[in-house]
Amino acid sequence: MIRVATIIFAAMLASFAAPPAVAAEESLVLAAASGDPYAPAVGRMVQSMVEYTRWTSPPNPVELCISGPADHASRLDGLRLSDGRAIVRRSISASPLALAGCDVLYLGRLPASAARGLTDAARGKGVLTIAESDPDGRSQAMFVLVFRPGALTFRLNIDAVSRSGLRVDPRVLRLAQGG
Amino acid sequence: MQRVSPNQALPTLSQLLARVHLRLILFSVVLAALSLLVSGTIVIRNYASRNLDLVAKTVAYTVEPAVVFGDKQAVAEGIASVGAVNGIDRVAVLDPQGQVLAEWRHPHGDFHSRIEDAANRFIWPKPAVATISRNDTAIGRIEIYGNSEGILRYALSGLIISLSCLGLTVIATRILARRLQQDVIAPLDHVAEVAHAVRSDRAFERRVPSSGIAEIDRFGRDFNALLAELQGWHAGLTSENAELARRATHDALTGLGNRVLFEQTLADAIGQSVRSGQSFAVLYFDIDSFKQINDRHGHECGDSALIAVAERLRQSIRQADHAFRLGGDEFAVVLAAFADQASISAVLERVDRAMAQPYRLPTGASANASLSAGVAVYPDDGVSPQDLLRRADANMYQAKKDRALSGAKGKNHA
Repeated sequence: MIRVATIIFAAMLASFAAPPAVAAEESLVLAAASGDPYAPAVGRMVQSMVEYTRWTSPPNPVELCISGPADHASRLDGLRLSDGRAIVRRSISASPLALAGCDVLYLGRLPASAARGLTDAARGKGVLTIAESDPDGRSQAMFVLVFRPGALTFRLNIDAVSRSGLRVDPRVLRLAQGG
Repeated sequence: MQRVSPNQALPTLSQLLARVHLRLILFSVVLAALSLLVSGTIVIRNYASRNLDLVAKTVAYTVEPAVVFGDKQAVAEGIASVGAVNGIDRVAVLDPQGQVLAEWRHPHGDFHSRIEDAANRFIWPKPAVATISRNDTAIGRIEIYGNSEGILRYALSGLIISLSCLGLTVIATRILARRLQQDVIAPLDHVAEVAHAVRSDRAFERRVPSSGIAEIDRFGRDFNALLAELQGWHAGLTSENAELARRATHDALTGLGNRVLFEQTLADAIGQSVRSGQSFAVLYFDIDSFKQINDRHGHECGDSALIAVAERLRQSIRQADHAFRLGGDEFAVVLAAFADQASISAVLERVDRAMAQPYRLPTGASANASLSAGVAVYPDDGVSPQDLLRRADANMYQAKKDRALSGAKGKNHA
């Protein structure tokens, strides 16, 4: 049985991964929106995570709920999946009741207890949980973003994934090389 | 007919067979090896090609999330794990614009990289391609170039095996040729050897032994039959020659030696006496009143008289002596070396006694013949054949005269 043993699958994401044209466009938007260099990478990573996650009934559009102050969420607007579904963003309070209708939960800077409250409520309900800032893994979110200088990686909480009621493509797990 | 000079080196049958066998086997081994190598290479290449397609599809599936996530390192690691499989030279992941996202190359040794590169270009001119798609949208492309190392290794091992087979077959050919030589050429050699013996040594009694090969055996039997015929002809010729030679030196009617043989014998006897210092005698006879026998009873009776006289002469002389009919009713005897006059007298007495027996004429009547004899002794009466003969002749006529004188007293029967 997999315990809390948080297996860290770190996938290194080069910030310059996008093709030049797209990168130029992104950098323009980035320059216009904010000076955060991680924002485009976070946007792409969140989109990819949604892309490889299977809901029992695919939500359309996918509702992305952001709870708590998020530092790198500026590029989470207007995301669109490869099959054409849109990702719609909204902000919610840190209350488990506010989770209704959410398909993806993006946790900003929240106290550990508040984060746990939300992830406990989301468990088994088919909500993909992503924590932006949780270096110790106390939020029990499925994915935890890890910011490194010049690169974005993520850790995976296999326990949370298996209890989430969602199916994450195993190839995403393979992306990482154990951490 | 084409004649071949003996110093011109002709190939032997065994060399010919060995050469033909060698060519045949070289041809078949090279053909088999080549066809195996080529067909094997093609089959392997086809399998490898299918394998590359499969690998490309697998890689496309495996690296799809990494491409979506934009994780170049994950892409690189994904293709490296596949590239480690044999038979892949280069794996490249390209984005839809054709930009290389990640690439893996077979770590080449410096030694055969050039040969391999050439072989790779030749065998895999085009890469196996698979599209990375997400929800029917192409998000990238996998290109896999095959590695010819496996095929080259197969070709090399095939080449080595072919060469070893070639070596083995060359040895086998030698052994085969040697066996062929034993089985085929040895019987032929027998025939040749017998033919040579027959030609050079007149060994007509030689025969070719049975060979155990139908064709050569038939040939040998015919050859033997031919030899038997030759032997018969040769024997016939030899006896005919001997008969001719005998006829040349013998009198056909009486079977005694003729004048030719007499002269030879006389010359031999003189030569022998010169060496040994012993003396010998020549006796000269003719039949008394032979003309009257012929006239009165006919030539047939004359012949009977001659035969009877010859027979009696032959019986009266010793084994070492020789009797001859010189012609007409003249006979001669060469008495071999003797000790004294008494042995001449003994012979003459035996002749007289033998002649006293009557002989039968073809008419049924019997008659008596009497001989007149003359003696010449070597070297007392002469040392040359002519002298001896003349002297014996003279003595005989003297004796005949004496007999005629005494015959007037009434002792002549003829």
